Formats: sequence, structure tokens, C-alpha cells
Amino acid sequence: MHLYACKKKQCYILNNCPKDVLLNAIGVRDGLQVSIVTKQPMGGPIVIRIKKREIAIDKSLACMITALAVT
Amino acid sequence: MDCHQTKSNIKHPHDAKRVLLMGNPNVGKSVIFNRLTGLDVVTANYTGTTVSYHEGLIRHQGDQALLIDVPGIYGLNAQSKAEEVAVHMLNDGADLIICVLDATHLERNLHLAFDLQNYAIPIVYVLNLSDVAKRKGIDIDCDLLSKYLNAPVFETVAVKNIGIDLLKDAVFKTHQTTPPLTIEDPYDKSREIADNVTKETDVEIRFIERLSEWCIKPKTGIPILFLVLMLALGIIVGGGKTLRSLLLLPLVNNYYIPFITTLFEGFLPDNLLRNILIGEFGVLIKMIEWPFALILPYVLLFYIVFSFLEDSGYLPRLGVLMDGLFRKIGLPGNNIIPFILGYGCAVPAILGTRASGSHRERVIVVSLIAIAVPCTAQTGAFITLLGDRSIFALIFVYMISFTTIVLTGIVLNRVLKGKSRPLILEIPNLLMPDMRSLGKKIWIKIKHFILEAQVPMFLGILLAALITETGALDVIGTFLEPLVVGWLDLPKEASLSLLLGVVRRELAVMPLLEMNLTTVQLITGSVVALFYLPCISVLFILVKEFKIKIALLIAFSTFIMAFLFGGLIQLLLNLVM
Repeated sequence: MHLYACKKKQCYILNNCPKDVLLNAIGVRDGLQVSIVTKQPMGGPIVIRIKKREIAIDKSLACMITALAVT
Repeated sequence: MDCHQTKSNIKHPHDAKRVLLMGNPNVGKSVIFNRLTGLDVVTANYTGTTVSYHEGLIRHQGDQALLIDVPGIYGLNAQSKAEEVAVHMLNDGADLIICVLDATHLERNLHLAFDLQNYAIPIVYVLNLSDVAKRKGIDIDCDLLSKYLNAPVFETVAVKNIGIDLLKDAVFKTHQTTPPLTIEDPYDKSREIADNVTKETDVEIRFIERLSEWCIKPKTGIPILFLVLMLALGIIVGGGKTLRSLLLLPLVNNYYIPFITTLFEGFLPDNLLRNILIGEFGVLIKMIEWPFALILPYVLLFYIVFSFLEDSGYLPRLGVLMDGLFRKIGLPGNNIIPFILGYGCAVPAILGTRASGSHRERVIVVSLIAIAVPCTAQTGAFITLLGDRSIFALIFVYMISFTTIVLTGIVLNRVLKGKSRPLILEIPNLLMPDMRSLGKKIWIKIKHFILEAQVPMFLGILLAALITETGALDVIGTFLEPLVVGWLDLPKEASLSLLLGVVRRELAVMPLLEMNLTTVQLITGSVVALFYLPCISVLFILVKEFKIKIALLIAFSTFIMAFLFGGLIQLLLNLVM
């Protein structure tokens, strides 16, 4: 499942993060556990939480990231 | 002309240490700069505000060091203009780097910390926002972090001046170069260090953290946005009108004007000079009445509201919330910040677009601001002109502005080649702004407005007085009659607005106050003024920041739109009303 399709309030492990410099610099990379905070309307970004940080990621990028649900 | 940025013009001794202040965006670097140097510098809670750099002197126990505030960056890959500037500054050489780390986002901040160690320059690390980290249940072992980084680490709460004296000591006592760390993967290393030095405990979620989340969730964020908008309008429009009518206008009308009129009538005969000084467009009267009694209240209240929202960290949340909508006009949502700033003044807004990811985005934002976003001074003029006659007339003019922004944005998005960059935004902490920094910031902005507006305003009013009193207005009015009277259905004298509007945008509105116009004519005049040429400062910045071709194209478009829309609105309203 890609990140943009993830459900709110659930936790996921990220995989196949694109090699985007800003995305990497901001700390979004493979193996991270994230939870979904919210998804914006009209094709807006998805907001994820990594530990106590919140990051908004564009829909186009979020659709490229694989997310595995943490059970 | 670029007086919207603080420039220090510091004469520093040649033997002073050169110190670079570096860090990620939104880590409180500008506040630390402020505390270390005591120099007035505008601080902001938004990524990319410090695009150009500032410098100041650190004075401590008889020593001096030159501190340079380097733009906020995530790394040294020269991926953005800010990173390019930072790399240039490092290559120019320095005696010390102060690297500011955000205690609430340590892991991400360590990437830059590692990069800087490759430059063989002594480094001190500052762990800022430690109070916010503690409130979030994040506890960082500074001694252990210092061992990992092979350099001193100081804990600070810059907004409260905590830890600043110790940092000043360190600036003059640190001489040892930090050996670079041997790192295979900087991301793994930063995670390892952050995990080892950080203890996270669950703490009770405070109201401000809940509010932070409500602001970015559409179901709660959109009602909050409307509430913020209503409050902002209430403060700016309601507060401005109250301040104007209860305090400033009585002061000007009851004390200043009678005093100045009596004074000059006493020794000046009734001639041209007297009319220019204290006549219908008397320079000595209008240069106090227009900027201070009619415009300043709105400018002051706009900057109070904007600065509060900016420093609280609300605006990036708004950017995330509005991203989907902004995409329709080809812009990532975080462009809402220079956009809102444009409602204050277009000059800093245009400069703020330097942080935009692409030339295409810059052209769209700048075109929209220059075409249809009224600055705060012009807003004040509109409220004075229209608000007193009919609030619906005021709302109508702003609806036209909004519709034009949307339609122009859609067209530009289709016409301009390329795609907008994807939005990646780390949402900063939502904070109660530091009142001292906020007060200083508002004061600097108001000072800039007064200093920058006063000279062109004076020249504009002098021009108005000369044109009116010498009878030149009649000649110009006759020449422009087909346009002003025939097409716009305004009186001949309204051509004065077109002449003054070239100098400053609010001057295209103010002369209409002195004419006895119908509501339709007031709306027509306001629509023309809204789209009319950007003021001289804006034209100058457009030429400086873009090619002259783009600047002229924008100016030409606004000019044509002003008369086209003004005439059409007049025809439509006269048909309906």
C-alpha cells in the first residue's frame, strides 16, 4: 500500500522513499515508523507524525512511498 | 530601496572574530542573533524568511566578534539559493561556527551538524527550544551529545535569554577545531546519536498541542481559519476605524489643522503658495491627515495581526491546509505566506518569494500580488473611502480582487511552462510568540512604513497641490476626459488619482475622498485603483528581481485591467442600480 492510501491514526513503516534531497534532509526515509495525522482535501498533502514531529508530504510523493501497517 | 530588510552597516574592527550563525530553518536562529548582538533584526517563524543575511557585533567583556546570520538550511548540497549562500560563506572562511540545533527535532538537525564538521572550523553547538522539548517530554543529555560531537553544546531558551551569557563566553573561548566524524551513513548516525542522548516520556497533551493538531485537520482547521480571518478583519477594520474616528481624526481636525491654518494665514497672503501649503490639497495638511490619521491605524493593526500569526507558527499550518486549493493556481500551499504578506506590502512579499522552489512559482505569486492584492495602505484608503459609505461596496471590491486572483492564477498555471514542486514541509511548533521580539518586529515594520511612505507621499501630495492650484488639472482632465468621464463615468478631476497612483497605490484612492462621488463612482474609482500600476517601489523590485521584460509585462497588464474592469463594472452597476 502507498502512503497516501494509509488510514488515519494507524502506524506504518515506510519503504521505497524517493531519493528527494529535501525529503531525506527532513528525515523521511526507509524504515521509519510513522503515524498518519490527517489528509488534506482537494489532493492536498498527507500529514505524518514521526515521533513528535509533524511533516506534510505532497500527494505525488506520498503515492511513491510504500507503507507497511504495524500490527 | 530595499529598506524592508535590516541592514547593519556595521563598522567592525579588522581583528574581530568572524562567527557564522548556522542552523536549520525555524530553530530560533534569528532570536539568538538578536540576543547576541542586540541589533534589531526581523525574526520569523517561517522557513526561508532569512534569505538574505544579517550581520552584527557581539560585545562581551571588552572583546568583539562579527556575527553573520546565515540563511536557514537543511544541508550543504547547494540545492537551494539559501544553501548556495551558506556554502559561499563557509568557503570565505570563519573563526567559529555557532550551529543551532532544535531540541524538539534533534535527529533531523544533526545532518547539518555533521556536514559543518568537514570545514575544519571550530564549532559550538546550541541546543535551542529546550523548554518546548521538555514540555513535549523530550529530555536531551547535553554532556553526552557534546561527547558524540566532539564540541561544546549549550542549552538555550533564546526567547527568554536563558543560556545566552554562557554562549557569549564560549564564542571568545573556543579555538579548537572539531575533527570530522567518520560516518558511513549520516542518517543512521544521526538516528543513533539522537536515540542515545534523548529520553522521551509520555506527558499530558497540553491545549496548545491539541490546537496545533486541530489547525491542520480540515474538519477543525477550516472553521479555525474562518475564525482567525473574522478576528483579523475585526481587529484591522473595526479597530482601525475606531482608532481613526475616536483618536486620530479628532486630533488632526480639531487641533492640527486649525493650528497650521491659523499660523500660515497669519503671515502668508492669499496666493498660490498659501494654497499649495494649506489649500484643498495643502501639503502641510494632507501629508499629516492622509498617512497618519487615515492610513497608519490600518497599517499598524495589520502588522500586529500578521506578525502574531507569523511568530506563532500558524501560517505554515495554513499553507498545509490550503495546499490543495493553491494547486489549482499552480502553487504549493506554502506560498500563502508571501501572498498574505502582500496584503501588507508587495515589496517584502516579492523578496519573500526568493525562497520559492522555482522561477515559475515566483512569477505566478508575484504577478498575482502585483495585479490584484491591495497593500495595507491601500486597504486603509479603501476602508476610509468605501467603508464609511457602504460595507457592501467594500466587500464587492474585495470580491473582484479575489475573483481576479483566482482567474489570473488559473490562466498563468496553464500558460506558464513547467510544474510546481511537491510540498514537503516540516510543521514548526505552535507557540505563544515572545512579546518582546513581537513588539520589536512590529516597531521595525511601522518605522519602515513611515520612513518609506512619507517621502513619496509628500511628493505625491505636492504634485496634487501644484496640479490643482495651477489649473493644470483642468488641462489634464480635458485630455483624459474620454477615458475618465466617457468610459469610467467619473468626474474630470478624478484624473488626479491616475497621476498620483503611479507614486503610491493608496494615492490613487485618496483624492477620491475629496470629490462628492456616488456609490457606483466610488466603486469604479476603487476598482481602477486596485488594478492600477504597482507603486514605484514595487516596479523597482520587479525590475531588480526579474527581467525588465517581466516587470513591464506585469505593469502593462495591471494598467489595461484597471481601465477594462473599471469601465465594465461601471456599465454593469449603472445598468443594475
